[in-house]
Amino acid sequence: MGLREKLTNNRFFKSLYREGYPDSDRKRVMVVINSLALHLHPVRVAKKGIKVTYTWGLGGLSIWAFVLLTISGVFLMFYYIPSVRDAWWSIISLDRDVYFGQFMRNMHRWAAHTMVILVFLHMTRVFYTGSYKPPRDFNWVLGIVLLTLTFLLSFTGYLLPWDQLAYWAITVGSNMGGATPFIGDQVRTALLGGFQIGQPTLIRWYTLHVIFLPLAMILLVSTHFWRVRKDGNISTPVYPAPPEEEEAQVKEAPADVEADDAGDGDEGDVEPDGTDSKKDAGEDS
Amino acid sequence: MARSLQAEEEERVIEDPGERVHTWPNLVSIELVGALIYLIALTAMSILVKAPLVDLANGEVTPNPAKAPWYFLGLQELLLHMHPALAGVIVPSAVLILLGAIPYIDRSRAGTGIWFSGPKGIPIFKFSFIYTSVWNIALVLIDEYLPAGETHGIGPLLEMFGFPAPVGSVFVPLVFMTFIPWSLAIIVKRRWNANTREVMIALYTFFLASFVVLTIIGTAFRGHSMHLMWPWEIGHPEGLLGGH
Repeated sequence: MGLREKLTNNRFFKSLYREGYPDSDRKRVMVVINSLALHLHPVRVAKKGIKVTYTWGLGGLSIWAFVLLTISGVFLMFYYIPSVRDAWWSIISLDRDVYFGQFMRNMHRWAAHTMVILVFLHMTRVFYTGSYKPPRDFNWVLGIVLLTLTFLLSFTGYLLPWDQLAYWAITVGSNMGGATPFIGDQVRTALLGGFQIGQPTLIRWYTLHVIFLPLAMILLVSTHFWRVRKDGNISTPVYPAPPEEEEAQVKEAPADVEADDAGDGDEGDVEPDGTDSKKDAGEDS
Repeated sequence: MARSLQAEEEERVIEDPGERVHTWPNLVSIELVGALIYLIALTAMSILVKAPLVDLANGEVTPNPAKAPWYFLGLQELLLHMHPALAGVIVPSAVLILLGAIPYIDRSRAGTGIWFSGPKGIPIFKFSFIYTSVWNIALVLIDEYLPAGETHGIGPLLEMFGFPAPVGSVFVPLVFMTFIPWSLAIIVKRRWNANTREVMIALYTFFLASFVVLTIIGTAFRGHSMHLMWPWEIGHPEGLLGGH
């Protein structure tokens, strides 16, 4: 018995991966259906839609950056002390005394910057490919909220090292907020937790950075993924429907049905021309 | 309203995804390779480049220049040219709201799924990018070098002529921020006979080019006292390292 067989031919492995390696079409469908992460995708995707030069994988890379930020961020939380007296020193100590401390801090910093860039480029890709158009209109709005959250996450993290760079960037930022017409003072006070940058500011931004904003991001990005499926997956070209004579056929199975079904029934898609592909239906079960 | 919504629903299109392939392995393998490339690049960068950590925060020592993180430097650049309420709050809020409104203005599904939605999109994109960049750079240069008594800029010059301060800090910037995208829309409509989607491409490109150009100027061309200078003249900001 080879090593591979030893590892895979046992009860535990089979309980984890019921189907074994996906080497047949049936198994290729089942591996997606049976995996929490892969089930974000439909079992089959448009070849045009997954061309690298169409999406550049920017949405996927954005969430991957977020995952890496969460991992490196939790590591940093073990050592970081959110107090005005200790914050800066805890980072000095992290850099000097902790195995992989400097590395994880670098990783968190560069992943944060690249995530801002990736999210921005993802928005730009979606715009220039016209992928915001109905029925994906609301998901575009969600995307704008996610962009804003990305900026806020990055900016709240910027204060935490409590060095000169952080302190004065936040001074510039909170002064901008303080220029809000009519409620400027209130905005500034809410941002700072007082009249000047200090302990209340640090604890406030720390809490937003490590709990509130990441949770909001997870909630909204999940909705964003779910809507991608509901709105008909990765966008592909559309053509004007031929009028009149085709009308009856279109009514039988409007293109939208496919999108609406995507949540539960996309494993057996209804073809836009109304024929229920037999092969797909078989794969579904 | 109800009637127009109904009319809209009548836009019938055929979505033709074309050939479809199994997610495993066709898409999953692409995602894996992309994730690995990003992870390797990030790891390499994290080994080679240290995240900055300068002196302990000190409210008594103001760095010169004091800059926000790079993605806000476009806004900080605007701050040099207009009223802070406009640059710091109203413009960014308006940008986010207008971005969100795009799919509710451009409702037609034609052009979905094609980069730049067809052959006209690319020249419109190129023209809009250059048009916006030229305007941005020209206005930044004018505001920096236009002499106005002991200082410089459009606002101070108008004040010298007796206009109240808000004319230079609010009215003139609003005029430019409206005129540039408006004129751009008119040009692409006339030159390319642009439809709603193509005008939208021009306007998004106006946003994109402004963001890129102003961020680059704010990051690489603003040095001591936020004066305009070449990147190699900027040096290290004062008050970040070594106390004092």
